[in-house]
Amino acid sequence: MTVPTTPAPARMRTVTATVNGVTRSAETEPRALLSDFLRHDLGLTGTHVGCEQGVCGACTVLVDDVPVRSCLLLAVQADGRRIETVEALAQDGELSGFQRAMRDEHGLQCGFCTPGILMSVTAAEREGLTAEQTTTEVLGGHVCRCTGYQGIRAAIEHHWQEAGR
Amino acid sequence: MTIATRNGDTLVGKRMPRLHDDRMLRGHGRYVDDIDETGVLHAAIIRSPAAHGTITRFDASAARESGEAVLVLGPDEIGRLTDPLPTTWRIPGQHLAAVELAIRTVRYVGQPLGVVVARNRAVAEDLAELVEIDIDPLPAVVGIEAALAPDAPLLYPEHGGNVAGGIHFGPPVEELDALFAGAAHVVEREFAVQRINPSPMEPRGVLAEWIPSTEQLTVWASTQVPHLVRQEVAVGLRLRVDQVRVVTPDVGGAFGGKTTLYADEAMTCLAAKVLGRRVKWIEDRTENLTASYQGRGQQARCRLGLDADGRFTALHVHIHGDVGAFLSTAGSGPFQVAALTIEGPYRFGAAGATVTAVFTNAVPTGAYRGYGMQESAWIRERIIDEAARELGRDANELRLLNTIQPEQMPYTTGTMLTYDSGDYPAVLRRAVEMGETRRRPSTDRIRRGIAVTGNVEITGFAPSALLEMFQIHWSGYETGTIRVNEDGTVTVFSGVTPMGQGIETALAQIVADELGVPLEMISVQLGDTATAPYSNFSSQASRSLPLAGAALITAGATMRERMLGLAARALGVGVEEVKLDGTVFRAGTTGAEVTWRDVAHRGWMGWGRGETDKILLEETVSFDPPGITYAYSAHGAAVAVDLDTGKVTVEDYWTVNDSGVLVNPLIADGQIIGAIAQGLGTALLEEAAFDPETGQPLATSYLDYVLPLSEDVPDIVIEHHVTPSPIITGGFKGVGESGIQPPAATVGNAIANAVPEIAAGLTATPLSPSRIWTLLEQAGLEG
Ligand code: FES
Ligand code: FES
Repeated sequence: MTVPTTPAPARMRTVTATVNGVTRSAETEPRALLSDFLRHDLGLTGTHVGCEQGVCGACTVLVDDVPVRSCLLLAVQADGRRIETVEALAQDGELSGFQRAMRDEHGLQCGFCTPGILMSVTAAEREGLTAEQTTTEVLGGHVCRCTGYQGIRAAIEHHWQEAGR
Repeated sequence: MTIATRNGDTLVGKRMPRLHDDRMLRGHGRYVDDIDETGVLHAAIIRSPAAHGTITRFDASAARESGEAVLVLGPDEIGRLTDPLPTTWRIPGQHLAAVELAIRTVRYVGQPLGVVVARNRAVAEDLAELVEIDIDPLPAVVGIEAALAPDAPLLYPEHGGNVAGGIHFGPPVEELDALFAGAAHVVEREFAVQRINPSPMEPRGVLAEWIPSTEQLTVWASTQVPHLVRQEVAVGLRLRVDQVRVVTPDVGGAFGGKTTLYADEAMTCLAAKVLGRRVKWIEDRTENLTASYQGRGQQARCRLGLDADGRFTALHVHIHGDVGAFLSTAGSGPFQVAALTIEGPYRFGAAGATVTAVFTNAVPTGAYRGYGMQESAWIRERIIDEAARELGRDANELRLLNTIQPEQMPYTTGTMLTYDSGDYPAVLRRAVEMGETRRRPSTDRIRRGIAVTGNVEITGFAPSALLEMFQIHWSGYETGTIRVNEDGTVTVFSGVTPMGQGIETALAQIVADELGVPLEMISVQLGDTATAPYSNFSSQASRSLPLAGAALITAGATMRERMLGLAARALGVGVEEVKLDGTVFRAGTTGAEVTWRDVAHRGWMGWGRGETDKILLEETVSFDPPGITYAYSAHGAAVAVDLDTGKVTVEDYWTVNDSGVLVNPLIADGQIIGAIAQGLGTALLEEAAFDPETGQPLATSYLDYVLPLSEDVPDIVIEHHVTPSPIITGGFKGVGESGIQPPAATVGNAIANAVPEIAAGLTATPLSPSRIWTLLEQAGLEG
């Protein structure tokens, strides 16, 4: 057992980014991952970390409109960028169309993979991908252990249909 | 009052979205790593790098002298400050009844040996690297065969062998041998099921806070079993249970992997206690894949005897279960359940099952969704298929010939399980019928086939008398509490816990129906040992809905009567005149009204009650049914086998399922589909393998542990049969695990149907391209 000591100060860097429309600045260690920066420095815990290996997709956020795995990016790499996380999807308190479709089609169970899927599908929608492309190429890059994907696929189809795409 | 007989606009039976999805979709889930980090210190676990050996030196001086470590605890400190953790379910012959925390002999790679605490996780992990551990290596025992070899190194030399314990169910083997000797036909096969990582997307994690002034420990844990964690933490840390509170925040999946207190979690709690601080440990994915208890892992020799007509005369299975380095909380449980459920929906002249639990130098095994019943379905349905092929009979015709008939219910099996209800042939016949329209032609190099299997499963694992008989230290009953608050809102408590399965919504539907109030008035609050009724079994074994649901029906009926009585006295009329309409009580004769809220207020003031009535507006009921209620199903799969690559594609999958009365078919379907997807992972993809020489785990990331992706899971077609359980108030049966049990057997049999040339070799999962290709090559079919 050791006596608690004052931790040696690590070399800190300031990261400034537009997060969900608001300019945010925080001190962070140069080696900190973007996922940890968002979750623990900015308190945006809606972004989840399932593997930190770039495989599961739970940590997906949009950086300058592009879906990225925030566990594969350093926080300092996001300096000066525009970041969107799951917390920004509901507008004026209303769930987005795809969020509603996910609820109606039971596209989530434990909800841990959900924010990443919401972000990737939102990007696909903005890019004008078809429902077919979204269920194969976009959803294909995410792991969900709970749902068997059927409800998520149904939510994509239902939402795309509703939006007349 | 039973829901099964109700009709019309009841909430029970309504397909409706879940109540907390809105919050989850906004990113407002609150998992353990999301809890405010103010003042939190971070732990990293020091783990064994070797599979087997004796620790000769544990030197943390570099970490301690770095000036960065807030605390380092190694085996010596842990040994001084803790006691071993208790177990719940043991097997005859088991020599260790507890899980050691202070490790001097390492027995698997990843075994927790100590803990480092620092200001953040990265620093704690760096410091853990600085700890020097010298291990005198011992040869690693990898796999069941190696463990049972005559000259095998022993994990516990003092125990005299690597057999951890054993048990037999049903008639003695000699009796069965005589039946096999007299059978017209005997099929014998050796089957295996790989080790599986339950792989919830949220790994394990705990945040522990010890307050020195009040001597209270609070633990926020990603667990299925807060009460079990509480009692084990108390034992491990030498506290009274009432010094410990365990709170379950949102849990990001569990699947059996979070059904105990693990040593690394106990060490985190110990660190908090030593420091008088808040200490958090969040498992990373590599730790989860290598050091969280795994599921499955068994080999079984099975014999099936048939008479000249194809009737099953005898069945025996001898299961060797790989328990790993020690028997975890209920380490032999899954193997015992595999044995107990070997007969499934069929009649046998006689049937018995033997279990031998075996130590190996691998992470211990334990609960994984399906809990032995995936394994028994794999063995049983595959050997029936093999028998049909050897006899030149249609497999489904053979199944139907031997299926237990509805008029034989209740039916007691050879292993002494008493099935309560159901029409087993009906679901089988329907699934066969559904398959007829799903046959697709083979092409030159793509072979196609279909298969149907049958299954029966233990759900609502109870009653306490049965658990006492087996000396299983889990609470076999379940409790529900309904409190009508002073403002009329209704809070529901139960010992079951949410982990993504949607139990909060289902219980709210039940209670709203029983009380007759709108759903919005109900709040289901689970997972906090300070408020939840005791249940150390909690949410596992497909028991939450049938047992907690039944308890809440009874509690709700009583509470409704009490509220009606209070309303009648407030209105000055007889109780038979009072009707509840939404949130207003109305007197039939006078038309006078009083709101539900006012009645609740009067109740808490103690006004208007009969002389002997209790005041507390709370009803608590513990439900302990007379027996286990059994769900059952038939599954069908259509597969394509690529003869050039060995790749199997599941093109169609369907099931006919009977889980009794369904509370929310949307949730029930989601449970079945999600479990089938996991079952397909076991069938085709997933394997937690170990290096045969060193015992090093080979699957340490999601690049080498392959989970099913969307493309691996076809849209699944579900039909429901509803046979209300005769022994569960409300008629419910469990549904959480039914999907996962038959997929491996169903897919295996469909492959056999597609490529009969390799059928006899389809004995081990995963049926990966390399395994299939090897069989194709042996059959001369490869590309
Ligand atoms: S946490 Fe980033 S991909 Fe899994
Ligand atoms: S909902 Fe649990 S992992 Fe997707």
